[in-house]
Amino acid sequence: MSALEGTRVIDLSTGIAGGFCTKLLGDFGADVIKVEPPGGGGLRDFGPFADAVSAAETGALHLYLDTSKRSITLDLGTPTGQELLARLLATADAVVDDRPLGNLESEGFSASRLSADFPQLVVSYLSTYGQSGPWAQLPSTNLTAFAVGGQMATTGDPDREPLKNGGSQADYQLGLNGFTATLAGLWAASDSGTGDAIDVAGMECMASTLELMLNTYAYAHIDYWNGRKGNVLSGVLGLYPCENGYLGVHAMPRNFPALARLMDADWMLEDERFRDAAGRLAHDDELRAMVYAWASGQEKHAAYERAGQAHAPVAYVHEMSDLFQSPQLTARDYLQELNHPVAGELTYPGPLFRMADTPSSLRRAPLLGGHTGEVLAELGLQPHDIEVLRGTGVV
Amino acid sequence: MVGRPLEGIRIADLTAVWAGPYATRLLADMGAEVIKVESPNNPDLLRALSLLPAGTEHAWNKSAYFNHNNRNKFGCTIDLANPRGKELFLELVAKSDVVIENYRAEVLDKLGLGYDVLRRARPDIILVSMPGHGKNGPERDFVAYGTNVEQLAGLASLSGYVGGGPQKTGISFGDPVAGAAAAAAVLLALIARKRTGRGQYIELAQRETLTSLLGEYVVGYSMTRENPPRIGNRHPSWAPHGCYPSSGEDEWVTVACRDDAEFASLCRVMGRPELIGDSRYATADSRYRHQDELDETIAAWTRSLGRMEAFEALTAAGVPAAPVLGYRDIYDNPHLRERGFFEQVTHPEAGSWDMERPLYRFARRPTSIERNGPCFGEHNAYVFGELLGLSEAEIAQLEKEGVAARTPNMSSHQ
Repeated sequence: MSALEGTRVIDLSTGIAGGFCTKLLGDFGADVIKVEPPGGGGLRDFGPFADAVSAAETGALHLYLDTSKRSITLDLGTPTGQELLARLLATADAVVDDRPLGNLESEGFSASRLSADFPQLVVSYLSTYGQSGPWAQLPSTNLTAFAVGGQMATTGDPDREPLKNGGSQADYQLGLNGFTATLAGLWAASDSGTGDAIDVAGMECMASTLELMLNTYAYAHIDYWNGRKGNVLSGVLGLYPCENGYLGVHAMPRNFPALARLMDADWMLEDERFRDAAGRLAHDDELRAMVYAWASGQEKHAAYERAGQAHAPVAYVHEMSDLFQSPQLTARDYLQELNHPVAGELTYPGPLFRMADTPSSLRRAPLLGGHTGEVLAELGLQPHDIEVLRGTGVV
Repeated sequence: MVGRPLEGIRIADLTAVWAGPYATRLLADMGAEVIKVESPNNPDLLRALSLLPAGTEHAWNKSAYFNHNNRNKFGCTIDLANPRGKELFLELVAKSDVVIENYRAEVLDKLGLGYDVLRRARPDIILVSMPGHGKNGPERDFVAYGTNVEQLAGLASLSGYVGGGPQKTGISFGDPVAGAAAAAAVLLALIARKRTGRGQYIELAQRETLTSLLGEYVVGYSMTRENPPRIGNRHPSWAPHGCYPSSGEDEWVTVACRDDAEFASLCRVMGRPELIGDSRYATADSRYRHQDELDETIAAWTRSLGRMEAFEALTAAGVPAAPVLGYRDIYDNPHLRERGFFEQVTHPEAGSWDMERPLYRFARRPTSIERNGPCFGEHNAYVFGELLGLSEAEIAQLEKEGVAARTPNMSSHQ
């Protein structure tokens, strides 16, 4: 049995944030029905593609984010499409929407109608700026969201432009928070039968995760740092080039002895410049130079293995190829093969976390509109009516 | 209005530092009663990161890093290595729905507090563990702190300037990601328990959780068998897409064009309408090929403006753009201020200041900051007395014997 068995979610999202949120709901067992425009688009537009001829079905982003969903096509710009969405919402526990503010309302589903006609429904709105405030209407993408969330200002080299994280981390953070918020809504609704409308703003999620920068400034107007520090924050915290890649060091005071021993520099534990945190801070330049010199002679796999055995906090930067060869991920069967009728057999990340009693499972991404007939039939439409809808292009 | 979403749920919280406390902060913010349990001899590291001047009295109660991540929680102290401490903790477990911990893989079992032991105290207990690597596998006991997780997950390898090496993210990025996911794990287990009547064990390996946030690169690698190149602030298919200098000192504005229409708007806003018809920029593909030149053109324009001017002009024309905001900018941001993102809190020792509010806004179940981040051992009396039924004298005895405490031993963080 899965955790969300019997829970139905309608996914109106077109972006990564909503797509990730509903993928997770689906992987943990919800019946997620993704409503796509008849022309496709959205997550299906991005490569690499397993098959260039069938691009809409074989893009990596779509294959990953649309696992464990059913797909129906519906033109929400038409009264018939809106009527069918209303019938779907009446059967649902939650709806997730990451489209620009006002889209759902323009399709006939204002907040007041949603709460009046579908009181059981948890409605999750995922956006960069939230549903209110002077910037709520502004266009945004992963890049611009990352810029306003505060993380970008601290990422990158001091003498270059601020840098976004790899991939689409602003969107994914929003999607993950949307998942957590939607679950809280479902939990609360399961007690009372009363749904909710939840506003999750990516800018706020990111602004709340600036380590000690925002909170220490807000409390004492102390600037921990302003700007970017590149890959090396201190001798004991940074990314250092090694023989065949990069090593990451992240030593708290209690781990310094293990790090010193790993570097064959036990003498530092006796040396008054390095034996406590204050001394190390005062002599950080010397410490950095020693770590750079040590790392440059290290082979990444061997150094990681030795560090692990010695409880020293040193890891190496894993490329995608390293994930596929990782002894740890292999031992835990983390990566999973999944077959898709058009894209073929490909490798997917495993569960977000492992639930012993109600584990998640991956079902391959649906073909565009692959469940339209099935879902409409569940709503009580006759085969003839469905054919008529197909003829008019509503589905 | 129908109460906060998680009203009535109690969580015994053994987590420290960031990832775990961030998870329980999210849950506490939504109304769960979170009881943070700290060791007298190993207080939460964040208490040591106050940045206040040396000699500040009770600095461990005034760390903003700690107080922001632990507000809305109760705090007590128990030495779990002490048999009496262990007994008390198990009594607390018996009255809780959830236990959550982020020790290294072997620690909870070594303390004699593994899932089977907890389940004897409370048959339907939910236990969430969030070790770096997971509880099994050859690397299970390796140390993995914040930035190590992004190295192991594959994120650091995807981050970096065009043509350069991998880049560290600006924060310990894996921590809040694992935290938000662990909060979800608790909620899923509660939802499942309602139907099955059973609790369960959940294991969250932080490196695996973070890999979920770059899954398309895993699937993509299985197609191409090539490690993706580092592309800085660029996008795999949209152009232009970058971070450009503005007139201010170290001030920047990001711009992203998703289609021809947005590019045309950008050209008009820059006063360069002739670029719209330029064959080099006619399609997404051709813009992508010529994005170096485009970046120079855009930078030449943004350098003449303040970042807010460029942002306002571009977004008014429908072009996604935004200033790069630092934490000072965020603190003063008019949009966030108008949304009530900051709430004033009052702490019995640390005073009053503005703190970011609970993240998720429920229309029918409003939430707010209702209690300060607990002083060390602040709620010993509530937990040992009100919940577990000990007398004042017995609590005083616990504190005298060091099973509990109100003054932390900070030596492990120096």
